[in-house]
Amino acid sequence: MKKILVFTILLSFGLGIQAQIDRSKYPEPAPARAIKLGEASNFTLDNGLQVFVVENHKLPRVAFSLVFDRDPLMEGEKAGYLSIVGDMLMGGTANRSKEQLDEEVDFIGASLSVTSSSVYGAALKKHQQKILDLMADVLFNPVFPESELAKLKKQSLSALAASKDEPGSISGRLVNRLNYGANHPYGEISTETTVEAITVEDIKTYYETFFQPNNAYLAIVGDITAEEAKPLVEQYFSAWEAAEIPTFEYPQPSAPSENTIALVDRSASVQSVINVTYPIDLTFNSPDYIASRVLNYILGGGSASRLFLKLREDKGYTYGAYSSLNADLLAGSFSAYANVQNAVTDSAVAEFINEIKKLRNDGVTEEELANAKANISGSFGRSLENPSTIANFAINTKRYDLPDNFYATYLQQLDNLTVADINAVAQKYLRPENMHLTVVGNASEIEEGLKSFGKVVKYDNMAELAKEISMDESVTPQQVINQYLNAIGGKDQAAAIQTMKLESTAEIQGMSLSMTYVHDLPNQQFANKTMVMGSVATSTILKDGKAQVTAMGQTQEVGENEMAALKIGMYIFPEIHLEEAGYALALDGIKEVEGQPAYKLTISANDRVLMSNYYDVASGLKIKTENPEMGEVFYEEYSQNEAILYPMKMVIKSPMMPMPLEAKVSKLEFNAQVTADDFK
Amino acid sequence: MKRKLLLINFSLALIGSVFGQQNQIDFREFTLDNGLEVIMHQDNATPIVAVSVLYHVGSKNEQPDRTGFAHFFEHLLFEGTENIGRGEYMKKITSIGGTLNAYTNSDVTYYYEMVPSNQLETALYMESERMLHPVIDTVGVETQREVVKEEKRQRYDNQPYGTILPETMKRVFTEHPYQWTTIGSMDHLNAAQLEEFIQFHSDFYVPNNAVLTIAGDIDYEQTEQWVRQYFIEIPSGPASFYRPNIEEPVKTTEVRDIIYDNIQLPAIIQSYTLPGKDHPDFYALSMLSTYLTGGNSSLMTKELVDNQQKALVVAAIPFDLEDYSIFIMYAITNMGVEPGDLEGEIDALLTKVKEEGISDKDFQKLQNITENNLVSANASMGGIAESLSSAKVFYGDANYVNETLSYYQKVTKEDIQRVAQQYFDFNSRVVLYYLPKTAEGNQ
Repeated sequence: MKKILVFTILLSFGLGIQAQIDRSKYPEPAPARAIKLGEASNFTLDNGLQVFVVENHKLPRVAFSLVFDRDPLMEGEKAGYLSIVGDMLMGGTANRSKEQLDEEVDFIGASLSVTSSSVYGAALKKHQQKILDLMADVLFNPVFPESELAKLKKQSLSALAASKDEPGSISGRLVNRLNYGANHPYGEISTETTVEAITVEDIKTYYETFFQPNNAYLAIVGDITAEEAKPLVEQYFSAWEAAEIPTFEYPQPSAPSENTIALVDRSASVQSVINVTYPIDLTFNSPDYIASRVLNYILGGGSASRLFLKLREDKGYTYGAYSSLNADLLAGSFSAYANVQNAVTDSAVAEFINEIKKLRNDGVTEEELANAKANISGSFGRSLENPSTIANFAINTKRYDLPDNFYATYLQQLDNLTVADINAVAQKYLRPENMHLTVVGNASEIEEGLKSFGKVVKYDNMAELAKEISMDESVTPQQVINQYLNAIGGKDQAAAIQTMKLESTAEIQGMSLSMTYVHDLPNQQFANKTMVMGSVATSTILKDGKAQVTAMGQTQEVGENEMAALKIGMYIFPEIHLEEAGYALALDGIKEVEGQPAYKLTISANDRVLMSNYYDVASGLKIKTENPEMGEVFYEEYSQNEAILYPMKMVIKSPMMPMPLEAKVSKLEFNAQVTADDFK
Repeated sequence: MKRKLLLINFSLALIGSVFGQQNQIDFREFTLDNGLEVIMHQDNATPIVAVSVLYHVGSKNEQPDRTGFAHFFEHLLFEGTENIGRGEYMKKITSIGGTLNAYTNSDVTYYYEMVPSNQLETALYMESERMLHPVIDTVGVETQREVVKEEKRQRYDNQPYGTILPETMKRVFTEHPYQWTTIGSMDHLNAAQLEEFIQFHSDFYVPNNAVLTIAGDIDYEQTEQWVRQYFIEIPSGPASFYRPNIEEPVKTTEVRDIIYDNIQLPAIIQSYTLPGKDHPDFYALSMLSTYLTGGNSSLMTKELVDNQQKALVVAAIPFDLEDYSIFIMYAITNMGVEPGDLEGEIDALLTKVKEEGISDKDFQKLQNITENNLVSANASMGGIAESLSSAKVFYGDANYVNETLSYYQKVTKEDIQRVAQQYFDFNSRVVLYYLPKTAEGNQ
């Protein structure tokens, strides 16, 4: 402290009469310090394993990173298995159970992780030998327990279910499918079926084929010298035998012949996820590579780039808008993306197209080029703060077949680029007429506006085409309703039923469920109770113009919006009453329900779609109800009850449940006696 | 300064039989007449430098009818200054090869740049401009209002489970301003007049409420000279600042609620109120969280994710804040698992720790993990700048970064059981279930 005090006093004397500073302009930079690249020593074992050592003694830590290089793979009907290979290796070895392995890694405060193409271990220097022991055990002696696979599948299925509601995941799947197609490794999508199909044998075969020394790079970074590393590597990895590794080729994906809108309807969305994208042919060793970094930086690489300044700072449409030009040995891609307000979705798409077009047609300015160069060299410099960067440079040079001095001359190459160079890559890689304009959002609010960009093709949340069949435009909602009422026995017969009691039973994971419904039209009352093993799990009671929902012992009053949907459930045959009660009805085409063409009728209140009913085109019967909040109910086994055809089986599909719930009607009573007790 | 560090090292060497040595961070500090605290750390390995300004103002310093101001300022202060035109701020930093960003939480607002070291003077000039005379005008306010609305939608409303923290905080805190979110209310931002924004700036964004930190490839004398040159003329702010001194009443019964969200898998979030982050129990609580969910061999990960397979993920998070902190137990169920079933298992494990404590071997493991984490911390200039300034503001001394280890060393096996007993009070906790919207209503 004293030293600083003295220093401060000295300073205030020495610099007491400071020159007035000029705040009107930026200070001149000091001379730049040259960016020096550290060295990686490397050697290769007889089995082909290539090793790179980067010394950095700042912290007493060492990291060992093993990377396998192979062609991308088609996973086919087992799609999803690559993502669990790593955890299967960590599932136990011939020497250690999973529990022992986890315990030993954690005990030394280390990390050990495995993927289908890498093994990474890091620890304090003093635990170096131990982490290598553990790493080698996992690498050479995995046992792939069946029980571990069962657990990982369960987790994969849970994650898959969760991803169906995540706008980002939905968009990612759609983008990959559109850019690369289903028959390309990058366009494959794992589903419940493909995950279920994975076997231990698949994992084992993959491991035995691709975990070989002759396609592996080992980077050792940290508090270790090359002299120390070499005998260690030999000790652990020299007995590993090389083997032939299969190679694969795939067709080059192509950009669409014209701009096409691809829309996924996510009715809960309050923002649209936009990604404007197409595949490109750009590799790391392309002569265009560095110029393409500059091009992308100017378009959408950061917060001073054109897209960000236009869509965020100028328009306020979004929290951030960016682009990427991904290089890849097999197939690269261009993407420009943002999450935007529903109301400006079409305007934002138009801005994306404009900016891409403008850059392609008018090129970049000298100032933009200079700023981009400074920024890219700045981030190159910052990346060197992390010692593993040098190891990555060395591995990339081999892996992507780059010139030996690629990284050493990177900044020089960058500096040599001219406006003409960037404009040339803009011509080559920006294709504003050949893009997939993908949007995940609330279709009822945004679809109309998107039509101005061309035909809107709709997909589901798994990137499959949403099925639609053309409908005779002259059909009206009332006709569909009449056809339905006739099919069940006629409107008058249906209207004569004033009260109803229904009981149904179902089974879920060994537990029996029973559901009771009591409808009382004259008194405008309705009650629904779900009993699990004899006690009430959830109940909904509607009476005196109010509704209460009780779940898990918590009772909630239902708000106005939910009330409008609940009221429909009060009716025994809602179709008779909807129009009169003020609901808006609209036909939304013919859709397939389990392979059957059906009219889709939407029911709205206050401009909000509450539910959709599906009526079989052939029979007229209602075969499905879907409610954005609750899931899907399928009506089956219509049978005659008094004068009315009534479905005796309901299949309820809800993402909440692992499998569809089949509820069978056990008791059905029309015009039954109801009492106040039924609505308590 | 040197001697003080040396002393600490010496004392550590005496006590520290288990722990190794923490990475020592050398630094110098001084205070300007206007109250600005300055901390410098020199490391010439890479020609880069981190410059940061921490303003000791966050959402807790806001008025209840004007929430979201601090975060809004984080945005506004990128708009420009009297000498730096609108939109120029980000452009300039990026065009000199730098990167910049900022964040706001309940307690602080933190701005930082990383620039090539020969551009240090420019970064200092720019931060001084922002403190001296930012331009706060209608154009900036209008644009950033829209941007913040989209940020809110992107982070919270359109994100499955995105509202967990806001929903938790508003139930845990009924009196203290931690009850509202950092992003605040859009209605409040809409209602606020330009003058109110300008007033908020002069109330908080002043030298005597800020810490300037510079870490990287610097020369100490030159850096200090530049700091004085650019910051000395900035007038000092008010003599005192509005820091809410509001006591949150202890809950006597559990608060339990259900949130219906656009999700597929139910989540359980239990929150236990803890004291502020500088409380001595925090070290034991942090080790306890590692015991519960840190690493595959941790109690809950092993039992609930691997053995019972009832949870897809489980995490114990000591969420540390200045006035009060909260300990969050967070779990997502595997598909088809009832949340009540999983919560029962979580409670059983918490009860087990309270009743039985932890084994010697587990305690040794926690010490090893802590050592690894402390050695690995502060590996980057950006990280060091942030640690130094937080240490200054929250622990009153930048040298706290070098003392952290000594606090962990004081924790005993018994402390871990004790804090579990003391803070995992089921009767005063808040429990939220996140359920799929499909479960709402009569299904």
